[in-house]
Amino acid sequence: MSEQTGKQLSKEEKDARFEAELLPVLDPLYNFAYRLTLDEDDANDLVQETYLKAYRFFDYFEQGTNAKAWLFRILKNSFINEFRKKSKQPAKVDYSEVEGYYNSDDVEGEGGVASTTDMRTESVQDLIGDEVASALNALPVDFRTVIILCDLEGFTYEEMAKILDIPIGTVRSRLHRARNSLKEKLEKYAKSMGYNS
Amino acid sequence: MESRITETHQKLSEDGHESECDKIVMLLDLMIDGEASSEQQAYFNTHIEECVPCFESHQKQKLLKGLVCGHLKRVIVPESLALSIKARIQETV
Ligand SMILES: [Zn+2]
Repeated sequence: MSEQTGKQLSKEEKDARFEAELLPVLDPLYNFAYRLTLDEDDANDLVQETYLKAYRFFDYFEQGTNAKAWLFRILKNSFINEFRKKSKQPAKVDYSEVEGYYNSDDVEGEGGVASTTDMRTESVQDLIGDEVASALNALPVDFRTVIILCDLEGFTYEEMAKILDIPIGTVRSRLHRARNSLKEKLEKYAKSMGYNS
Repeated sequence: MESRITETHQKLSEDGHESECDKIVMLLDLMIDGEASSEQQAYFNTHIEECVPCFESHQKQKLLKGLVCGHLKRVIVPESLALSIKARIQETV
């Protein structure tokens, strides 16, 4: 470490460091992008853009600091600045798009119907997962975001505040409201399935 | 017994006082997210030992969080993505 201080890294060294430190975040980052855009191609573009930006600013990134939070922050800003303008579709379309996404994987193939009846427990798991996804995707993007960051990615409130550029108090209240709407949507589902909550 | 406790709490909040249960509701997220201080945890745990509605709200909130982190499917990253990121970075001066 100390050998490198004050010295410019070569392009190869920089690239190697960049890949070692930031590429491990690819999976959570892509999932976050997908949950924001609800489209695989858009998620792809958004993630690429995020990494290119990160590369440009990599000199400012301090080694050993929270790479994941840093990348999430860049991605979220890119999403707000560019993607929201590009996709003029309001949040309402989300629902059907995602239903389509899941259905195309499971049902289109010939074996689709058979496999759902075969693995009973697995398909129950799938049903719950699909329902959670639909309920989540039907939430406004700000609500969706805090739930993903907190429950799926396990960021702390402090990290979320930094990623989203909002005070911790706002993180808390947004999360609270987001969970209330999610609960409401899932309770409707539970009732329609005959469960009592 | 428990329902009587609840009734008292509800009356309090109707009078415009902040009841203990209202305070507990504000702590629910902190508790399930592991963000509560040790004082808040102690206060919370003591309360839910004797208040059934708050105990149940806590269970529900935990369940909700579990649904998201345990059941939401992760999408699979396309294999080409890491490669194209690496390629584009190498082109960048
Ligand atoms: Zn209570």
